[in-house]
Amino acid sequence: MKYIQYINEILGRKTAETDGLVLFGQNIAAGSHISGLTKGLRVGKGGIIINTPNSENTLTGLGFGMMLGGVSSIFFMKQLDFLLLGIDQIVDTYNFVRRKEPKASYTIMPVISDLGYHGLQSSFNNFGDIASVARIPGFTITNKIDAEEIINAHLVSPGFRIIGVGQRLFGDEILDVPKVYSNNEKTLFQYAEGDKATIVCFNLSFPYGWELYNKLKERGIDSSLFSVNSVTPIGWQKIIEDVSETRNLIVIDDSKSENSSCDNFIMNVLEKCQIKNKIIVKREIKGNEWLYPNPDLLQIDYETIVNKLS
Amino acid sequence: MGESKKVKIAKEILRLRFGQLVVNEKYKAGQFKIPIHLAMGHEAIAVAVDLMMDEKDKLVLSHRNIHYNLARTGTLRPVLDEYLLKKEGLAYAELGSMNLASEEKGVIYASSILGNNLPVATGLALAEKVKRSGGLVIVVTGDGAIEEGAFYESLLFMKSNALGVLVIIENNRWSMHTKIEERRTEIDLPKLAASLGAGYEKLDGNDVYRYVEKLKEVKKKILEDKKPVVLEVNVTTLGGWYVEDKERKEKRFIHPHAGPLPETSLVEWPEIERSANDPVFALQEHFSSDGLKKLSQEVLKSIKEEIGE
Repeated sequence: MKYIQYINEILGRKTAETDGLVLFGQNIAAGSHISGLTKGLRVGKGGIIINTPNSENTLTGLGFGMMLGGVSSIFFMKQLDFLLLGIDQIVDTYNFVRRKEPKASYTIMPVISDLGYHGLQSSFNNFGDIASVARIPGFTITNKIDAEEIINAHLVSPGFRIIGVGQRLFGDEILDVPKVYSNNEKTLFQYAEGDKATIVCFNLSFPYGWELYNKLKERGIDSSLFSVNSVTPIGWQKIIEDVSETRNLIVIDDSKSENSSCDNFIMNVLEKCQIKNKIIVKREIKGNEWLYPNPDLLQIDYETIVNKLS
Repeated sequence: MGESKKVKIAKEILRLRFGQLVVNEKYKAGQFKIPIHLAMGHEAIAVAVDLMMDEKDKLVLSHRNIHYNLARTGTLRPVLDEYLLKKEGLAYAELGSMNLASEEKGVIYASSILGNNLPVATGLALAEKVKRSGGLVIVVTGDGAIEEGAFYESLLFMKSNALGVLVIIENNRWSMHTKIEERRTEIDLPKLAASLGAGYEKLDGNDVYRYVEKLKEVKKKILEDKKPVVLEVNVTTLGGWYVEDKERKEKRFIHPHAGPLPETSLVEWPEIERSANDPVFALQEHFSSDGLKKLSQEVLKSIKEEIGE
């Protein structure tokens, strides 16, 4: 099953069983339904679905207003950069609302524009940037396990959060990877446990990490595989303990901004672990080419990494 | 309207004025660490809104909100304590002035960002619709905030989704220190509202009794028609002063934005301007001068007792 079909299916189950829920956004019940994200969604008793005007600032504030009125809602957003038009709402209004125990739920679910051929907006692919403006609980979905656990735990729970899906992954088969561990907050997932290397994936880079894990395994190198699905500060202890054992660290982050979530982790892990091999795979930004239409793939030389650890 | 109700309303106008004058004196004395936007001259609409609201209604405010918070709270002390950042304050020293709200008093939200409260009010109104609670959402904004896209966007959403909202625009013609004619073209609000299918009403003159009657009518209409109504209220933010300007030959007028009003003082008769721009002056249409002065003394005494001064 494709990534987007699977997410749509879980969303459908969750929204249909939730009474009094308001789903809103541009074209959510028309056309391509945001490339299939909101196709066929239904709501429980008393809920409504609204195809809205193109008024992103008001739409962002709308959910907070409903939250203050005790009504839960989900705002589906075609592109993450649309949320820039509502940034006062996710900072100021959220800071007002979060002071008290929330009565209702508000989730914004944007599509992270990480397809380079979609133009200038694809420079804004770091989900952490938007979530960090007010330490907003934010989650990225990269595979079957995190999709299920994040959506079930957070989509309609009291409080506010942003759950991002990656456009680049929409047409791919969803990765079905067995899980070793996930924390209660669903901000950290571990998919494999090995003693030779530790792979830590950030933003939407889990598919690259999974591919690297398999290539290492083919060469007899058992590695641990983590995915950090959040940007808010999380406890790094679980990963640090693993790195202390393997002493070989590979960090993968496909985001393009200067404010990468992996930097905080790297600082912590370097302080606490004696590392033999440290491989950081990040974007290399040269000139203006990254702003022009391009395939927008993270350059990762699997062979060199595998050889280095062999 | 009966005489006792008339007197009660006049006392409310005076209470809101005296409350602000007390705040201004403490402001001048340097007792506040937070910015406060005084609203002397805005009392008539605040008293009328307070009288219009019932338990189900919800009020959403902007950064200049002292008049509504005083009206809804009914006392000065909790507002004053909030400004002094005391735990006994209306919002437990969590919100200060620009965001001051109190759910218990029907004030659900207040925003320090221009226009930011309009989308939130729209969401509140949608929640009322989903819950079928029958409450009216009232949102207060100003002539500066209607320059923001959120004003247009919110009206559009309200009308598109049959949300009955009272959108009050306090038009004092100033945004911080620039007048409308210094910053933009005039906005034809009746035409703008009509173009979106929203209603439009206007109030000026600061006759609180006329305001009370008008708001009753408007509320009934909104709840029946289920569409937003823009109510433009002309106000004068009183307490401005003049300063020497070395670059100009004449003195420069300072319009009150945030901060204390240096030339306005707490006196027994709290009129600031002898014209209908001042809701306290406007009370003279309905009472004798002696009668008003007596009421004024009673209100001032009560406020001083309340704050222990």
